[in-house]
Amino acid sequence: MSNLSSFISLTINGETYSLNVDNRWTLLNVLREAIGLKGTKKGCDRGECGACTVILKGRSVNACQTLAISLDGSDVRTIEGLSDGPTIHRVQKAFLENDGGQCGFCTPGFVMSAVALLESNPYPTKEEIVAALGGNLCRCNAYGAIIDSVKGAAGKSPNG
Amino acid sequence: MAENLVSVGSSIQRRDLFDKVTGRADYAADLDLPDTLHARILRSPHAHARIKNIDVTRAVSFPGVSSIVTPFNVPSGRISPDLPILDSRVRFVGDEVAAVAAEDIFAAEDAIRLIKVDYEILPFSVDTDQALAEGAEPIHEGGNLVNGGPIVEQRGNVEEGFAQADFIVEESFSTPAHSPAPLEPRAAQASWDGNHLTIWKSSRGIHADRKNISNALGLDSSKVRIIGPHMGAGYGGKDETRTAVIAAILSIKSGRPVSIELSREEEFLAGRRRHSTKTRVKMGLKNDGTITAIHSTTVMDTGAYLSSGPGVARRAGQGALYLYRCPNVRYDGYLVFTNTPTAGSYRALGAPQGHFALESVAELAAEKLGMNPLEFRLMNHVRLEGQPGERLTPQGEIIDTQPVEGGIPFSSNGLEQCLRLGSKAIGWGENRGDSEIQGDVRRGAGMSMFIYRGGPGGQSRATITVDSQGVYTLQTGVMDVGEGSITVLSQMAAEVLCIRPEDLALNVGDTVTTPEASITAGSSVTFSSGLAVKKAAEDLRGKIVSNAAECWGIEVSKCSMQGDSVVSESSDSLTMADLISKVGLLTGKATVNPGSTKYVVNSFGAHFAEVEVDIQTGSVKIIRYVAAHDSGRIINPRMAANQVRGGISQMLGFTFLEDMEIDPKTGITLNPSFLEHKSPTILDYPEVEVIFAPVVDPVGPFGAKSLGEPPCIPPAPTIANAIYDAVGVRITNLPITPAKVLAALEMKDKFP
Repeated sequence: MSNLSSFISLTINGETYSLNVDNRWTLLNVLREAIGLKGTKKGCDRGECGACTVILKGRSVNACQTLAISLDGSDVRTIEGLSDGPTIHRVQKAFLENDGGQCGFCTPGFVMSAVALLESNPYPTKEEIVAALGGNLCRCNAYGAIIDSVKGAAGKSPNG
Repeated sequence: MAENLVSVGSSIQRRDLFDKVTGRADYAADLDLPDTLHARILRSPHAHARIKNIDVTRAVSFPGVSSIVTPFNVPSGRISPDLPILDSRVRFVGDEVAAVAAEDIFAAEDAIRLIKVDYEILPFSVDTDQALAEGAEPIHEGGNLVNGGPIVEQRGNVEEGFAQADFIVEESFSTPAHSPAPLEPRAAQASWDGNHLTIWKSSRGIHADRKNISNALGLDSSKVRIIGPHMGAGYGGKDETRTAVIAAILSIKSGRPVSIELSREEEFLAGRRRHSTKTRVKMGLKNDGTITAIHSTTVMDTGAYLSSGPGVARRAGQGALYLYRCPNVRYDGYLVFTNTPTAGSYRALGAPQGHFALESVAELAAEKLGMNPLEFRLMNHVRLEGQPGERLTPQGEIIDTQPVEGGIPFSSNGLEQCLRLGSKAIGWGENRGDSEIQGDVRRGAGMSMFIYRGGPGGQSRATITVDSQGVYTLQTGVMDVGEGSITVLSQMAAEVLCIRPEDLALNVGDTVTTPEASITAGSSVTFSSGLAVKKAAEDLRGKIVSNAAECWGIEVSKCSMQGDSVVSESSDSLTMADLISKVGLLTGKATVNPGSTKYVVNSFGAHFAEVEVDIQTGSVKIIRYVAAHDSGRIINPRMAANQVRGGISQMLGFTFLEDMEIDPKTGITLNPSFLEHKSPTILDYPEVEVIFAPVVDPVGPFGAKSLGEPPCIPPAPTIANAIYDAVGVRITNLPITPAKVLAALEMKDKFP
């Protein structure tokens, strides 16, 4: 068994962690196993489904494809960082209002992809929405309601 | 029935959605038990082999390894009749051989590679033709044809029916095996405390799991507790497999909790997939359009183990036996073992395969008659009175939801409404024919209809209590597998109890605290558990009112429930909390055997699509899609519409994309990943217009029937028929890839 590990420092949802991580670990291992943040899901562990989408340095990434030791000093946001008790992000609110999930296993990933999209493009077209969420699989195929949710969260451009 | 419903028929928010959008909903792999070992499973590299010996010496001494199971050190019990806990014979590439529990997943992964297995390789079959060939190596005792012959269902006499026909249409079809590929891979965590076993697992039936797992392990079921947290869906495919039992034995051996999470590749290989089929449908008709006989024959590949195969095979005949009014029908269903991953239940079982063939042949018939396919279906679809013939089921007995005999009416049948509403919505007739749209693009429209056995399931129970805080709690052992059934059940209970559905506390997903329940299968929960919940709520309401009447010393008929209180005609009023403080906790209970002694309860629908086919690339684009369903009264319209939209999109995978490919030389599954077994993404989603026919079923709770699986039945034939309308080629083997469309167009040009 390999015992090679490294110390890294990570900011997750505003909190800083100093961790000794196994060099084989991905960000997904760190979140789920070291920190205990289970809202980020493991659907494939090979970058094909988007269930583990988190926001790293402002961009949506697959946590399972991001090696933990490459992240020293990085800032990560996960689904847990979007809400505080009953207070939730407007994207989450829109998913509730539009029934944007069924079994819910893909939902945190979709929400994170949608948040990343709206932070860089506040008024996306439908084409831009589906392009941004194209890496997230929903096997319940709740896609129609997810599109409705992201449209709902985006609101209307002041320029029409 | 009173029509002033409040909760029922309202699109309330899915009850668990808040936890899901915030990441707080726990799934089976999310539980953290202290001191847990992590396990990996060693899988067979051979399609068919006997295990002569397993040497675990190196694996045992690998650092971090705690316990190992092999076929030679597990109990001799079985998970299902043909599925031992582990077997000294492996039947497909990916079959379970052994498992290792270790301190971490890396150690377990490394250790399984150190297990040395001595295989005696056997001849194998990768498809039904090979498996049924003379001299093929039998995969199970009893041979490769399950039960040695087909399932035969018939009404009347098809030979006589074909003899009466003016003409006959027939065609052969094939559909691929495809995986439901739930986003959550199977996971199980087992903890043995020396006396009791607790298992947290992805489950569509915790009580059935308890029975199967305790049987397999030879433990009294009172010593086994199953907890089913949220399920990352299964679409029927999360049938019982070996995962949880292996975790349990490893926990018993090591004395520590053991967690197994299947990898994505394992979920594809060792999960359950839809049976691939070959179907031939023969239909005899009179020149006036009357159908005189239908004979459908399906050969299904059930893979290495039987799983739910017989039920699936039966359902492939459902359309042929019941969808069209016809006195002479016959279905022959052959189920065949092969050395490939096991097929099992997947949303709508065999119905999509059978309907693909039947609804394609119906178009051939309509064409030959010179009839519009809509007119043909309006003329011949089964009516409320059911099929011609005589009832064979004894009077007074609950009728099977798919009896082959005639003479039994449906409880309700909105098929005609679906045909009319759906065709109107899509503008049927105006959009047909292969007109050139732009250069190489041709447009056409297609349709199909379906019937589905759904609703009445196994015996169902519910318990509802109200406590001294005035809090109502629903206890049910039936699992919400992600489809939203607990929301729908809450709405029904709330309707009876005059409360808000979100105020009903839930006690679900634990065999210790919930009453016995059937598995979530066959689109049965809304109907069957719905009946139990409604009855339990009525029982509780009766007790509340009679207890209040007793307190006040008045007649029960003078009391009623109003919101959170019980009131009398003379304006006495007690809040529920006050009443319960006086009389103690009240409980309503119900056990029901869902179904009817008079009627067959089925769901119906018709789908319509407009497509564009590019004759240069063979690609097909859905321009419009309308789905009209009769599922009785809709309890939560928004969730129902989303279930239909999702079901259709999911089956666009079956129609256009998905095919689990097996290498004929080795039996290896070539595409066990989302990348290669490609499913529809949000980029592929076509907007779907959903219509519910205004039907109120006289048997279902509040008039509801089944909905979960039905949307999955008609997409493939609807689209195949639309492609035919657009470019004049009929694709008979799914998935409809651009290459197949181009090849068919080329054939049509060369041999018009």
